[in-house]
Amino acid sequence: MSVAIDRSTPSVGAVGVLRRAVLSDVGARIASYLLLLLLWQLVALYEDRFPGPAEVFGFLWVEVTAGSHGGIVRGEFLEHFAATLPRFALGIAISMALGVVVGVVIGASRFAEALLKDTLLVLVALPAIIWAFLTQMWLGLGDDAVVITTFLSAFPFAAVNVVQGVQAIPRDLGRMSDAFSVSAYRRLRHLQVPAITGYIFAGLRFAVIIGWNAVLLAEWFSASEGVGWRSRYWYDANRYKGFVAWVIIFILFIVLLDRLILVRLQRRAFRWRDAQASEIEREAVEVDVGVTGA
Amino acid sequence: MATSRTIEHAPRGIAHLSLGARRRVRGVVGFVVGVGGFLLIWTLLSEFVFGEYLLPPPLEIGQEMWTIVRSGEFVRHFVPTIVRLGYGFGLALLIGFPVGYLMGTSRYWRAFFHDMVMVAGSIPGITYAVMALVIVGISILGPVISVGLVSMPYVAINVAEGLDSVDRRLVQMSDAFGRPRSAVVRHVLVPSVTPFAFAGVRLSFALAWKVEQLTEVFGSSSGVGFMIRKEFEDFSIPGTLAWVLLFIVFMILIERFVLVRLERYLFRWRLEEQG
Repeated sequence: MSVAIDRSTPSVGAVGVLRRAVLSDVGARIASYLLLLLLWQLVALYEDRFPGPAEVFGFLWVEVTAGSHGGIVRGEFLEHFAATLPRFALGIAISMALGVVVGVVIGASRFAEALLKDTLLVLVALPAIIWAFLTQMWLGLGDDAVVITTFLSAFPFAAVNVVQGVQAIPRDLGRMSDAFSVSAYRRLRHLQVPAITGYIFAGLRFAVIIGWNAVLLAEWFSASEGVGWRSRYWYDANRYKGFVAWVIIFILFIVLLDRLILVRLQRRAFRWRDAQASEIEREAVEVDVGVTGA
Repeated sequence: MATSRTIEHAPRGIAHLSLGARRRVRGVVGFVVGVGGFLLIWTLLSEFVFGEYLLPPPLEIGQEMWTIVRSGEFVRHFVPTIVRLGYGFGLALLIGFPVGYLMGTSRYWRAFFHDMVMVAGSIPGITYAVMALVIVGISILGPVISVGLVSMPYVAINVAEGLDSVDRRLVQMSDAFGRPRSAVVRHVLVPSVTPFAFAGVRLSFALAWKVEQLTEVFGSSSGVGFMIRKEFEDFSIPGTLAWVLLFIVFMILIERFVLVRLERYLFRWRLEEQG
């Protein structure tokens, strides 16, 4: 008991303030980032091919601000993002459009489910690298290969999530609507659409995450501009700090997109379902939905 | 009424069979239709959309797969891949267990690991693959570390969730009867958390083998990913597809038969509880 009391008495003075700041959630986060940087520095010391944080962030600054890398090579950041983003957006848009249609068909019809579900599961299981290789062999270098790789990798995840959504429409409410002869429009508006929306956003989230990896891979193998190509450029030039700098950009881009926009959309759309769950459970679901896919 | 109509038609279909048998018949029929659908779509695409050169028909790929299996290449490259996958999962459990334990029991450590665990799943696989190549070179360590890093967060978050679901009354009762902390961990916490940890492995399985394959494509001298890259560099579409399909068939078999059973075994106390 005495231990508990000791802890709860507020410590006074600067030491107490500092102690509370270090032990707070923000303090913990900062500590984790510092640990990560330390680990990175240790790896860089152990393996001298691998650049340390200072080197990489210096390079990143030059690349992003379009400064000079020495000689005539300049930093190029916006150019490559401008090349990649339209491909990425187009690939995701096609995946979502087709994913919703296929998902609704499979979810609504037993026959379509029996016929197409296994195909969909095989597509979910195919790694993006296969599409990057095949599209390069099929279409050669260029935008088409990249867009189609993104689409083929992301589409099955969108479709699978929509299938789950259609199958999660509450049956009892459907039967009750039958009994009270609720109009088809009201049923769509108040029953089917709200039930599926959350799953569509979950599908969008995983289409974006999977698609981002796919776009990078496809650009690595079959593009002559774009962020994936640029990272390969530095890798091939044996300038690993350039490659690692681009890795940081890849990760920052997808994490910010996911955490700031997609997760919020998904959480909002699933409010009705997750209201009861504890925070850890909700986090576990957020992390899990993507990998289960099926 | 709907029920009377069903009874009327009962003897014609499979309705006179027992519930279990009916489910099995339906499962087999569904499987046959599903595989048939897959082969049908493939054949149509090959015949009318892409042409036989760009997308060889199933039969040709089937022959190619058979050649690979018969020549022993299959075993030679699958064994290293599976072994690395196993080591990678071992690593993930080894790190994920303590991290998940800390996350599930202490607010500070939960905030500490929160960002890393949340972010890890959305990091593109290509970064793991090429970073592993840069750091350890062409070596068995690359795929193992990649698989470990990819799966660890799922193990950790599931262990944390498992601790969240531990029956608090059991812990309180153990305290009341003066059981030492180690006994509580051994008899209450570990048994309820282990299935969650394996659920984490199972969840991350689909992601892990993709990353493993990617790592092998970039930096390995054996394994399925390496062979896929080799076929790609030989510009052999049938070869690439054959290796990919062999791998997918194998992974689906592992998932359906090994992992699902393992999970059911580990979760058996839960099923008993539900009755």
